Amino acid sequence: MWNEYLKRESVFLLSAGIILFFIAVGIISPDLLESVSQAIHAGILDYFSWLYLISAFFFLIFALGIALSRYGTIKLGYDAERPQYSFFGWIAMLFAAGMGIGLIFWGVSEPLLHFLMPPPFMTSSTPEAASFAMRYVFFHWGIHPWAIYTIVSLSIAYFSFRRGMPALISSCFYPVLGERIYGMPGKLVDVLAVFATVFGTATSLGFGALQIHAGFTHLYGLSSAISVTIGIIVIATALFMASAILGVEKGVQILSKINIIIATILLLFILSLGSTPYILNIFTSTLGGYINNVIDLSLQSYPFEGYGWSRDWTIFYWAWWISWSPFVGLFIARISRGRTIREFVLTVLSVPTLFTFIWFSVFGGSALYLELERGVDLTSVAGEDVSLALFVFLEQYPVSGLLSLIVILLLIVFFVTSADSATVVLGSLTSGGSMIVPMYKKVIWGLSLSTVAIVLLLTGGLDALQMMAITAAFPFMIVMVILCYTLWVGLSQEKDRIEQ
Amino acid sequence: MFEKTLIPVSYGERPEELKKIGKILKNLGSTSICLFHVIEAGSLFRGSDISWLTILKETLEELGLDVEVKMGADHIASSIVEAALHEGADEIYMKTKRRWQIGTMLLGSISRDLLRLSDIPVFVHKVRPRLPGDEEVITREDLIILYATDFGEASVRTIPYLMEFQGGWCHILHVRGRMADPFAEEIEKRRLHEKLLAVEEELRPYYGRVTSEQMVGDPSSEVLHVSDQINADVIVLGRKKPAFFSAPMGETAERIVTSSRASIFLVP
Repeated sequence: MWNEYLKRESVFLLSAGIILFFIAVGIISPDLLESVSQAIHAGILDYFSWLYLISAFFFLIFALGIALSRYGTIKLGYDAERPQYSFFGWIAMLFAAGMGIGLIFWGVSEPLLHFLMPPPFMTSSTPEAASFAMRYVFFHWGIHPWAIYTIVSLSIAYFSFRRGMPALISSCFYPVLGERIYGMPGKLVDVLAVFATVFGTATSLGFGALQIHAGFTHLYGLSSAISVTIGIIVIATALFMASAILGVEKGVQILSKINIIIATILLLFILSLGSTPYILNIFTSTLGGYINNVIDLSLQSYPFEGYGWSRDWTIFYWAWWISWSPFVGLFIARISRGRTIREFVLTVLSVPTLFTFIWFSVFGGSALYLELERGVDLTSVAGEDVSLALFVFLEQYPVSGLLSLIVILLLIVFFVTSADSATVVLGSLTSGGSMIVPMYKKVIWGLSLSTVAIVLLLTGGLDALQMMAITAAFPFMIVMVILCYTLWVGLSQEKDRIEQ
Repeated sequence: MFEKTLIPVSYGERPEELKKIGKILKNLGSTSICLFHVIEAGSLFRGSDISWLTILKETLEELGLDVEVKMGADHIASSIVEAALHEGADEIYMKTKRRWQIGTMLLGSISRDLLRLSDIPVFVHKVRPRLPGDEEVITREDLIILYATDFGEASVRTIPYLMEFQGGWCHILHVRGRMADPFAEEIEKRRLHEKLLAVEEELRPYYGRVTSEQMVGDPSSEVLHVSDQINADVIVLGRKKPAFFSAPMGETAERIVTSSRASIFLVP
């Protein structure tokens, strides 16, 4: 009986064991954890940063190729099925799952940081640096992250809805592994997915907690000690654990939609009260520059000058998106049943991307406007504390206190919804793809997410968060390349059968 | 079907080895041999003594074969292919030598060009079946034939030749990629099983024993593996039209020809 349990729950036990070991080392010997993770991280970046660039570009080409090919008409579900969610509901959930906290965290600070600290070949704080900053923000948050999500979600959706297999990453490996997906090789694939999800989500939760803390410190003079950040994580954990355990899935969906609406209102508010034509000009010219340079940007690592910059930003982002992809991929797959591959890919690649471009044009563009045209010194704030820049930025607008509170509320809700969804997804991944997850697994995964975020913040703060995302993403990137192959095998077999 | 065989020969060919080859070909049904020598434009031996060809001719004639000698010039592989068509040969025979294994040849070599260009079947004689000793006779009944099929057009074209071989044992092998889900895999397995049984039935009158199996994996590796496992003498393959990115005669055929220890009978 015990053997049977071990066999059945091997993915859960193995992945929980690895995470627990990580947490234990982080608590007992943070220095050891830091030095080991730094060594792994440096090794990956030294030898494989080019691979992240090529892979992300390949995922984009592959996703577009599948959508525009003869496979585009294949439905993610049975032929007669209709989409389960309305178009708006679908988009709102896509967006909340895919970006959420990151958009708020980096919306103002990333363009400012690129403007202040561009690669060495560019002069800092110049109009060229501003243009460069906006283009790179579009690039980092543009079509590539969604292409990465698309690969995972399309594979899961195809193999589970169309081929009747469990909603697990290992199911997509059937064409390669055959019956071994039920053995150790398949379980290892699922463990890698869990590993990436825990660290990817913990990174986002860490960002969210830092930003919420910065907001409270800025508004109410709360202590900036790390213990307060940990306290925020503990409170947020209690909230999302309650939500996950009570199973308020409908409530989470409603919260996601409300969050998108609040975010949109905030966006329109900043757009209308800032220099609207300036922002819209930034949007159009950056969009043009992005489209014109997307291939160069995709494969550019500045090996002669600026390699460090590319590693710190582009590679971090690609790794972060990859580490999020099992979680977001599973979530997007679940909500996309009944849509054709073409509709799915083209919508996922275009609509959220466009919204993100508008978001960064409004927040980043307004920040650059204040910096360049109004002489407001936001860059030095962003340079000192990334999480504080947004609140100093909001101070330039009327009812800034209310705006800051709304932003904090948005962050908390994104934190809770993301962590709640991640807990459910982790539970499902470690329960053979079943959506009915035992409560103890939800508790363990919920606590693991928060504890990993705390351990990372304690060991190295923001850098540790970024480092761990890159490390966790690496093996999953290889998994994703194989997913492309197996998806292609499945689709081509199906089309060949239909044509025969 | 194998009545007339064209054998490309070059200076230095050993009569005793050709005699052994002649014995095998005779047992396979060849009655007439065309020895074909191509004189290269820049060759030192151009226009020199060609009495060695006469010796080779006489060696084969001793076996009771009808032998003629033909010469060509220019691009070697093209000349051989052209001559085979012109002479009405049923097959082109090539023996790979130890010092000149096909496996070590680079793209563009004569043999590979020949395999790629030929419009008639090419028999590439490798380690198996071994050349018979002076008193030894290798008959059809001794031959183990491995028929690698994917049930495509190229594979179907090989069936009449398989009937002609009439060896002791024909093993039919189908290798494919795995289907995308267990249910589809099971259906495909059953479908192929029926097809393999049908081919078995078709070939049964021509062989002492006919068996079949289906495998999942890389076609060339599995064909080579099974060929060694059953100690096959000849692997019968159809030559596919190569895809744009693939090797000149299709990746599977190319890898099998390169690495096999059994002889290859490639049907264009």
